Amino acid sequence: MKEKTVEDIVLEIKDKSELMVDLSYSSLIYDNKVIAKEVYDLEDLVDNLYKTLQRKTVENVKTKKLSVNDALTVLHLAEAGEQIADAAQEIADVELRDVELHPILKMSIRESDVVFTRIKVEPNSILCGKTLGDIKLGSETGMYVRAMRHGERWLYGPDKKTRIDEGDIIFARGPEDGEKHLIDLATGKTSEI
Amino acid sequence: MNGNKKRRIFGRLQRTPKEKWKKEEFTELEYEPTTVKELLTEMKDISELIIDLAYSAVLFDNDDMAEEVKFLDVRMDKLNYDIRIMAMMAARTKEDAEQLAGILQVAEAAESISNTAGDIVNLLSKEEKTGPILPKILKEAEEQLFRIKVSPKSKACDKKIDELKVESESGMRIIAIRRGDGWIYNPQSDTDIKSGDWLITRGSHEGFKDLSKFLHGEMEVLD
Repeated sequence: MKEKTVEDIVLEIKDKSELMVDLSYSSLIYDNKVIAKEVYDLEDLVDNLYKTLQRKTVENVKTKKLSVNDALTVLHLAEAGEQIADAAQEIADVELRDVELHPILKMSIRESDVVFTRIKVEPNSILCGKTLGDIKLGSETGMYVRAMRHGERWLYGPDKKTRIDEGDIIFARGPEDGEKHLIDLATGKTSEI
Repeated sequence: MNGNKKRRIFGRLQRTPKEKWKKEEFTELEYEPTTVKELLTEMKDISELIIDLAYSAVLFDNDDMAEEVKFLDVRMDKLNYDIRIMAMMAARTKEDAEQLAGILQVAEAAESISNTAGDIVNLLSKEEKTGPILPKILKEAEEQLFRIKVSPKSKACDKKIDELKVESESGMRIIAIRRGDGWIYNPQSDTDIKSGDWLITRGSHEGFKDLSKFLHGEMEVLD
């Protein structure tokens, strides 16, 4: 396997931290502890990435692959990602606590400009057996799939190669009018993407 | 989505009073009665918008955008202050307090996200100007940030975002619009697009190509 570059790692921290924010808010909307726990696991992952990155960056400066300024920029950006990840964990922590959620929490997040949708893929849906790259859900409906449940398994931050199967549960983020389209596609009400 | 009253800053053209907000940072901390729900919705929305704006500011090396990030960050401090007061007034029993503590924790997290955004834009004001490494990194992201200028030839001019179905047709989310010297954050479905607007958008490269053709007037319809 090709070794990850400093740039790869920073980007991974950035993407993962944003995914964590999405997941932590959705854990509250759906009162879902499994998603909230995943945010905790991702926090560990981001912490480890950050540590690896710090070492690599310093090494790269030593071997003159990176200038001091670039190295500082990289570390600064990664630190921001790390802080965002921490904030997401704080949000997930509210879901994991043994206190019933205040109804206002759900309402406020639900009323926001971006909605989160959870939908099960029915056997007659056009989405079955297709990869996310095939159907281009993101650019066609505006809904970005952030997580999927396949049987007992969860998949967070799926990519183009991820296949959707019947019975999968999709968690997606997007605009309100995209939400309806996605629901219709998943339930087989429409096959027009 | 209902109630325009809850959006005091979103979907509206506004001009950030230059330099003024800095002085108001502390003096403006006067409690305004609003519901906890409205406050939290706005905080959540800002927490998502501000990160995109911060990365855009750095990516496009744009001081104006950085200024907006700082303004929103200050606004967030005030919202966080207001929500604490509202929550304290709402608590009557221990159970109330426990539930409200959860709300305050989410608010606090949203606030730290906005602080982080403030840190990100500080990358711009560093004495040692950062090299091209930042754009290089950010351009590899799954969902990227783009800015597009609306041409007078485009069919999008004077149409509402809702009519154009920008996001569901192209997958591009408009996070902010720069119009003249004002900004519209989180444009709403009834926000008009005007010739000369700069749209700050987020999405895939493919979506960007489609949307920019449409906004440059090279494509009649968006689909």
